[in-house]
Amino acid sequence: MEKFSTEYFHKLANDLKFDLSDEEIEELKKDFVAVEEQVSLFEKVDTEGVEPMVYPFEAPTTFLREDVVSDVLTQEEALKNVKDARMGHVHVPKVVK
Amino acid sequence: MEISNCVNKNVAIEKINAVQPKLNAVVTMVDEADNTKEGKLSGVPVALKDNISTCGIRTTASSRILDNYVPVYDATIVKKLREAGADFVCKASMDELGMGGTNKNAYTGAVHNPYDLDRIPGGSSGGCAALVAAGCVPLAIGTDTGDSVRKPAAYCGVVGVKPTYGRISRYGIIPYASSLDHVGYFTTNVKDAALALEVLAGRDDHDMTSSYEEVKEYSKLLNGDLTNKTIGVFKTVIDEVENEELKAQFNALVSKLEEKGAKIVEVEMPKEYMELIAPVYKTIANAEATANHSNLDGIRFGMREEGQDLEEVMTNTRTKGFSSYVRARFVIGSYSLFEENQDRLFRKAQKIRRLIVQAYAKMFEECDAVLSVAAPTIAPLINESTNVRFGVSSFAEEHMQLQNFSGYPSITLPLGKVDSMPVAVNLTCKPFEEQKMFDVSSAIEECTGLKGQCLEG
Amino acid sequence: MNYFVTIGIEIHCELKTNTKMFSGAPVRFGEIANTCTSVVDLGHPGCLPCVNKEAVALAIKACTAMHCDLETLVRFDRKNYYYSDLPKGFQITQQFHPIGTNGYVEIDVDGEKKQIRIERIHMEEDTAKQFHKDTGTYIDFNRAGTPLIEIVSKPDMHSAKEAAAYVETLRKNLLYLNVSDVKMEEGSMRCDVNISLSKDKDTLGTKTEIKNLNSIANVQKAVQAEIERQSALLDAGEKVEQATRRYDEAQKTTILMRKKEGNVDYKYFPEPNIFPIQLDLDWVKSIQDNLEELPDARLARFMKDYELSEYDAGVLVSDREMADFFEEVLKSTKFAKKACNWIIGDVSAYLNKNNLSFAKVPCSSENLASLINVIEAGEISGKQGKVVFEEVMQGKDPKKVIEEKGMKQVSDDGAILAIVNSVLDANPQSIEDFKNGKDRAVGFLVGQVMKASRGQANPKRTNELIQEELKKR
Repeated sequence: MEKFSTEYFHKLANDLKFDLSDEEIEELKKDFVAVEEQVSLFEKVDTEGVEPMVYPFEAPTTFLREDVVSDVLTQEEALKNVKDARMGHVHVPKVVK
Repeated sequence: MEISNCVNKNVAIEKINAVQPKLNAVVTMVDEADNTKEGKLSGVPVALKDNISTCGIRTTASSRILDNYVPVYDATIVKKLREAGADFVCKASMDELGMGGTNKNAYTGAVHNPYDLDRIPGGSSGGCAALVAAGCVPLAIGTDTGDSVRKPAAYCGVVGVKPTYGRISRYGIIPYASSLDHVGYFTTNVKDAALALEVLAGRDDHDMTSSYEEVKEYSKLLNGDLTNKTIGVFKTVIDEVENEELKAQFNALVSKLEEKGAKIVEVEMPKEYMELIAPVYKTIANAEATANHSNLDGIRFGMREEGQDLEEVMTNTRTKGFSSYVRARFVIGSYSLFEENQDRLFRKAQKIRRLIVQAYAKMFEECDAVLSVAAPTIAPLINESTNVRFGVSSFAEEHMQLQNFSGYPSITLPLGKVDSMPVAVNLTCKPFEEQKMFDVSSAIEECTGLKGQCLEG
Repeated sequence: MNYFVTIGIEIHCELKTNTKMFSGAPVRFGEIANTCTSVVDLGHPGCLPCVNKEAVALAIKACTAMHCDLETLVRFDRKNYYYSDLPKGFQITQQFHPIGTNGYVEIDVDGEKKQIRIERIHMEEDTAKQFHKDTGTYIDFNRAGTPLIEIVSKPDMHSAKEAAAYVETLRKNLLYLNVSDVKMEEGSMRCDVNISLSKDKDTLGTKTEIKNLNSIANVQKAVQAEIERQSALLDAGEKVEQATRRYDEAQKTTILMRKKEGNVDYKYFPEPNIFPIQLDLDWVKSIQDNLEELPDARLARFMKDYELSEYDAGVLVSDREMADFFEEVLKSTKFAKKACNWIIGDVSAYLNKNNLSFAKVPCSSENLASLINVIEAGEISGKQGKVVFEEVMQGKDPKKVIEEKGMKQVSDDGAILAIVNSVLDANPQSIEDFKNGKDRAVGFLVGQVMKASRGQANPKRTNELIQEELKKR
């Protein structure tokens, strides 16, 4: 599969569990030109020996939660927003795995 | 609150109902019994951005996929506001899932700027900004991932605060990008802003990134004396501003601050770093967002579309549930997280983020606060504005993302008007120096005379 | 042809905590569906993870017992994929900085000891449980977010026996450490086995993975079956296909579940919502210093302190509750070997017969100890002991049973002497035999005395008195 082909973007989208229309993919192709331009912009920056910055602040925390039960939902609360609940379970059409 | 043009819940609701047809700022009106708690915000009507979880009250994040979602829990700040006596009046519109800067990308449609209905209020917290600017509520809580409070505050002529990362708990806030997300808020004056932080801030064990740093009585300690204060003028940004009227107003403010006793210095960032702000921001934000929103699949909550099997249910739900724009950004975010791409995209952006923050921190070695314009222009027209997808844009537009990278506390304050539209300045201090930020802000407020600026509804 | 077999094992183990890895919802097995969840476990929008201290403590225990290097800066990462049992659409795990690395365990296969290296131990969260029916799939989120450790071995095993011994060793260790229930049948311990065959040990063959093994016995059977299956393929000049398989007990072979199509890209990246956590080193040390005794150490101690044979000690230690009971019994008696015999023998047999385990042994340790003590003191005979034992297993006090049954032995010399003399008078032939050096005559006479006393004469004293009286005659 050719990179940045329509098929390629369909696959990318389907991996994220959604579809893109052909028009949407045409727009996205333009975006990816910008993405690739950006890569070349990034490549100009020397990041040798620089650690990725994952958090705004990096002093480690020491907090750990005590192992005490709290914030438990009732079954009713747990299922309140479920579109299809059956016999206390969340129901979905058969999973094909 | 100290100053507020409407301190009564019912008046606020009336005003909102009156402006809603024009502004389209609200997703859901809240109808609750009066809060009888006595506290710092007793009887204060408050609008909440629609990505703040409210137990029993629909919370959509302005996305179709959550259109029917009713949280079974309160965000920590919702509890804190209730404890302080606040009355919630509405859930305000936003760009879908916080992704956007125009508030055009909301499931309920575009929000309009109260100063000119043809213009955007900015985003993503556009509904909140519009409601405070229209004089409906004295306080609205938003979120700021890449200037999403401070830019709309600028376009709508109100005060917009994004405190230090970790200062306000994010528990219960529907995220955009976790390492950049901050809770922020809008008021019409600095004292209210200081008071609101007293209520909102503080350690929350539900948010492991929340800070233990002491919460001060910012509003009581407020002191506008500028003696011995050094204010850095962000020259790199100011040089990019093309609007002469805006520039003149900014320079006039700087002169006044100097007259008040502040020492003024110029501070700069390497331009190459400034140009990297937007691409680095988008790379990190899109990547974190695509993972953060993987929970939106229609299975346990939200809109579920039918399908033959699980795969189809998820795919149909997410296709219909997200706008084209959001799906496109998820694809880009996911792409930069692929193992083969992380070193040149996601991880590379995180490394550059560090370099940018290091350079940014240097600017604060010689000053207490950095001042710049918040936005280089007035609010754009609705039909001319587009959400920048992934292209290049002026760093003067995006410079406030620096404070999301660095987590530094930052505030937008009204500066004046250009072409009858509000313009604003942005002030930033070092981490957890909110008191200093409010102190200098109150001096700025004195200089501009725009304390309490809002439209009468 | 004989092939070189290479086996690596990944074990997922649910940690024995009160609450979930990242939320305060309870961890319980067998509860009503969707009653042990919080918004965090359901992946509701806006919730944030919060690391469970006890889960970290248990992971530290496991790492320490398995001789791992401990990473005291705890960090988590996201593993991204979409599935209905994964509420957030990502699993929080420790991809880049596992809490433990470079460890090993020692296994024993047919008396030969061998080290199996452990590549890594990391913490993560479990998924929800799904029930697939004709009418669809039913999801219960009670299990979602349960703390897990995953233990990944190096490919150091080369036979089905070694694989089974490795899993059994880990199971026992984790059980002794109170880290996990390690119930394979309930899924609190799950093991995935990777197997490849090659012509020599320097090349690696294509590996298959066997999932969902629910007992140690099946680990051994499945591995053996897979080795045979792959050997047959290679013998026939065919290729082994990279795939995930499961073991079918009825057919005694492994069955294809799904083929592996390239590597899935999980787009791992550091979890932004959990800052790195610097563990308090004093806390870590106190956990490590107070580690529960491991099975091997206990075995050695039983052999040394109680002078048990390796076999006896091994049997006791193989069942932690049995070994615990043994030690409880020894609090009230000094006869360790006798206690061991009773526990391995009669008590085990009784429990088996009644479908009980040592966790639910119906007699108190004091009562069993007391029974052993009265027998050893000669107050009742071994034979009587067996009768009393049956009652002790009903929860009765052996001393009361002895009294009720009138088994109390006569140790009064006068009473025994009277019986001895009447028996001697009645058995002149035995006296004759004794004088001719036939010692077994004494045994016969003791038996006669016991009979005459209806078993109540103290056998030891009876024996002594008979000897004395014989010499007088």
